[in-house]
Amino acid sequence: MRQIKFLTLLVLTVLVTSCEDTFLSPDLNTGINADNYFTNDDEIATGVLNIYDGVQGVNAAKFTNNDLNHGVQVEFYVTEMRSDNTRTKSQEGEAAQFEFYNVQATNGIVLDNYRSYYNVIYRANLVLDNLGAASTGNAPKFEGEAKFLRAYAYFQLVRLFGDVPLIDKVIAPLDTQTAFTRVSSSEIYNLIVSDLETAVANLDDSGSNDQASKAAAEGLLAKVFLTLGRYGEAQSLCESIMDPSRGFVLESDFRDIFYSEDNDEVIFAVGYLAGSNDDSQNFSAEWLNAVGRTSGVNYVTLDAKASLDANGGSRAQYSYRNDITQPSQYQVVKYLPDGDTTLGIPVTSSDPTSAGNDWVVLRYADVVLMHVEAILAGAQETTSTNAIASFQLIRDRAGLTTPVTSITKEDLLEERRVELAFENQRFFDLVRMGVAQDVLSAFSNANGLGFSASDLLLPIPQAEIGLSNGVLTQNPGY
Amino acid sequence: MKQIIKNKKQIVKVAFIAFLVTIVGCEDNTLPAAGSIADLTPPEALFAFSQGIGSDDEWKTYSFANLSTGATDYSWDFGNGIMSTDFEPFTTFPGEGSFTVSLTSSDKLGVESTYSEVIEVLEPIAAVVPNPVLVNAEFVKLPKSSGSDCACSGWINKSLGDQGESSSGNGSDVVKFDNNEPDHIYQEFEVTPNADYTITIITQFKDPLNGTYPAELELRVLAGSGYINGYTPTYYTNTVDFPQDGYGYTTISQVETAANNIVLTPTNVLSNPSDDSYLTNTFRFNAGNNTSVALYIRGIGGDPTVGNFGYTSGDEEIRLDSVVIIAD
Repeated sequence: MRQIKFLTLLVLTVLVTSCEDTFLSPDLNTGINADNYFTNDDEIATGVLNIYDGVQGVNAAKFTNNDLNHGVQVEFYVTEMRSDNTRTKSQEGEAAQFEFYNVQATNGIVLDNYRSYYNVIYRANLVLDNLGAASTGNAPKFEGEAKFLRAYAYFQLVRLFGDVPLIDKVIAPLDTQTAFTRVSSSEIYNLIVSDLETAVANLDDSGSNDQASKAAAEGLLAKVFLTLGRYGEAQSLCESIMDPSRGFVLESDFRDIFYSEDNDEVIFAVGYLAGSNDDSQNFSAEWLNAVGRTSGVNYVTLDAKASLDANGGSRAQYSYRNDITQPSQYQVVKYLPDGDTTLGIPVTSSDPTSAGNDWVVLRYADVVLMHVEAILAGAQETTSTNAIASFQLIRDRAGLTTPVTSITKEDLLEERRVELAFENQRFFDLVRMGVAQDVLSAFSNANGLGFSASDLLLPIPQAEIGLSNGVLTQNPGY
Repeated sequence: MKQIIKNKKQIVKVAFIAFLVTIVGCEDNTLPAAGSIADLTPPEALFAFSQGIGSDDEWKTYSFANLSTGATDYSWDFGNGIMSTDFEPFTTFPGEGSFTVSLTSSDKLGVESTYSEVIEVLEPIAAVVPNPVLVNAEFVKLPKSSGSDCACSGWINKSLGDQGESSSGNGSDVVKFDNNEPDHIYQEFEVTPNADYTITIITQFKDPLNGTYPAELELRVLAGSGYINGYTPTYYTNTVDFPQDGYGYTTISQVETAANNIVLTPTNVLSNPSDDSYLTNTFRFNAGNNTSVALYIRGIGGDPTVGNFGYTSGDEEIRLDSVVIIAD
C-alpha cells in the first residue's frame, strides 16, 4: 500500500514536471529562433527587408519548385490577363484559364498569388509584433514600412478575392478560425486605410523608390479612397503628391520611366537585380517568345493594340511591338530584359531569365490621372479646368497636344488604358469605375470567351479550402 | 367451401401483402435510397445590376450579374414584359419607373429559389453647379450686427483690415477703399468642389496722382481648406447676422500663405486704369477641393508701415460698386 502511494506520488510528480513549459519547449540559448531573434534595430531592419523580399517573390526560372511564392512576379496573370489587354500566346494550359474566364479553384497561379500575399502579411505582422525591440527613433519608420506593405497585400487580396481572412498579428498554426474565416471587404478596407494612414504619418520621401515612402502611401491610399468612392479625400492626397515641392515629375521621354530606373516619375517600385539568382525576376522573360519557362504569356490583344494605335500617341511604340519570330503576335515593350535596338532600348540583363527590371507599382502619371478621377467623382463627365489641366499633362507628354474641353468617364478609362498599359492597372480600373461587366462581357462576346460577372472575383484556392476543414467558403460561380 | 374460404383468406392475405407492398413502395419513393446524401447546396438566387453608361439612351439598359449559388437553370422576369433564361442577360426598360426584377434559380432536382429587387430606373441628370450666394453683393447701406448702417455690411473681418466705407457712385451705394488705409472686404460662401467660376466686379479708380504709392486693388479667393482648425463656416442671409470677426481666416500671414490662395486668371491685382469711370473687370477661378471659400479684396500699394495690418491702400481712392460670381 505504501509502495502504491509512493508510486502515485512519483507519477504525479513526473506529470507535474512534464506540464511545465520548459520541459517540452526549452529556451534555445545556442541558436536563433523566431521567438528570440528580434532584439535591436538592425534585426528589425532585416525583418522589414524580409517583407520586401516577400513582395519581390522568387524567380521561378532560377528556383523551379512550384511551392515557392512568386510574389508580384505572377500578378500579371491574375490582373492584366483577366482584362482585355493581354493573353497567353499559345492560348492553352493553366495560364490560359484567365483569358478564357474559366479559372478553376485548383489553378496553381491563383494559389501562388493568394499564398504570396498572405506570406507578405505574415512577414509584416512579424515585424509589427516585435516593434517593441526597436529604438523609439526608428520604430515609427519600421512600423510605417511594414504597414504600407501589409496594406498593399490586403488591397490586392480584397480586390482579387473579395472577402478574405483578416490576420493582423502572427497567429498560432492551429488558429484555423482566424486563418480561414472570411471577413467582409469593408473590414479589410478599414485595416488598409488605417495602415496607410500610419504609413503616411510615419514615413518621408528620403529613401530610394523601391522603399515605402510617404508619397507611396499617399498614392496607394488615394487609390483605396477612389475604390471606396471617397473622392474628396483622394483628391487631397493626389494634390499633396502633386505639390511641386515634393519633386515628382513626368519623365519627358516615356521610355525612360522603364529604362532609366530610380527616376522622378516612379514613386514606388519592387526592386530587382539583374543576374542575381535571389533578387532577379523572370516575368520579363515570360513575356517574350519562349525565352522563359512558358512559350510566351502576357501577349498583347488586338483590342489593346487598337486602343494604343488610336489613342496612345508616342506611347504606343514603347508599349507594344510585333513579335519578330511570330509576326501575327504582339509583345509588351515595357520591362524588356534583352533590349530592342530599333527602339533604342538597352539590354538590362545579359541573362533574360534573371532580369533586373524593377516592377513599377505606382508612378506619378497614375497619381495625376487619379486626380482627374477624384474630380470626376463618379459622374459621367466633367468640364472642371482643374481636371482638364491634369488630364492634359498626361496627353501632352504623349504628343497629343490638342486641348481637351471635357472629360467623360470613357475618356479617362481609355487614357489610363494607354498610359498604364500592361502595368496591372486595367482590370482594377474597370472594376473601380463600375464598367467591368459591360466592357468585359462585350470583349468576351466578340472573342468567344466565357466571361460572366462572377469572374470579377477569383476563386478561393481549393487547397486553402481543403486545409480550412470547411471553414473557408468559395466565391459564387466556382 | 372450406377451400373457397381458405382461398378467400389467402386472397385477403395476398391483398394485405399487396397492400403492404404498395405502401412500402410509396414510402420508397420519398425515402433516400441507400447511399444517397441530402442536397447540401440547394439553389440560392441572387443578382446585382448596373445601369448602362453612355451619351444616348444607354441609361435605359441594365446588365445583370448572376450571383446565384448551387443552381443550374435561371429564369428572369424583368417586370417590363421581357423574360430570359440566359445566365446573365441585359434588358432595356421603356423609360423611367419602378420595375420589379425577379430571378428564379433552380437545380436539376427541381428545387427553386427566387430573388426579387425593385429597380428605380432614372435618367441620370448632369449635375448643375449652382451660382454662389453672396449677401449684399451690391454694397447697399444696410444694418450691421453693431454700429451704423454700412455699404460694407456682411463684408467685415476685423482680423484682416479696417472696414470699407460707404459712399455712392454709379447711381447707387458703393463701398470705398480709402487712400492710405488698410480697407478690405471679406465674405465666405459655398462652392461646388472643382467647379469653375467667373467673378465680375465693377470698380472705379481715382485718377493717378503719380506719387510714391500708386493704389492697386487686390483680390484673393481663399481656400476653405485653409480655414483655421476646427472652423465651420456659417452662411448668413441677413447683414445684421454677420459677426464682424472670428471667421476662418484670422491673420494676414494665413491669407498670404500661397497654398491657401486659389489661382485667379488672368491676374489678381488691378492697377489704376487711368480712367475714372466705373469699369467692369472679370476673373476666373476653379474652386479646387473645397466646399467653401472666402472672397477677400483689399487696397494695396500704400506704405506698409502705416496702420495695424502690414498693408495699406495707395494714394488713390478705389470704389467698388458690385460683385457677381457665377458658375461657368
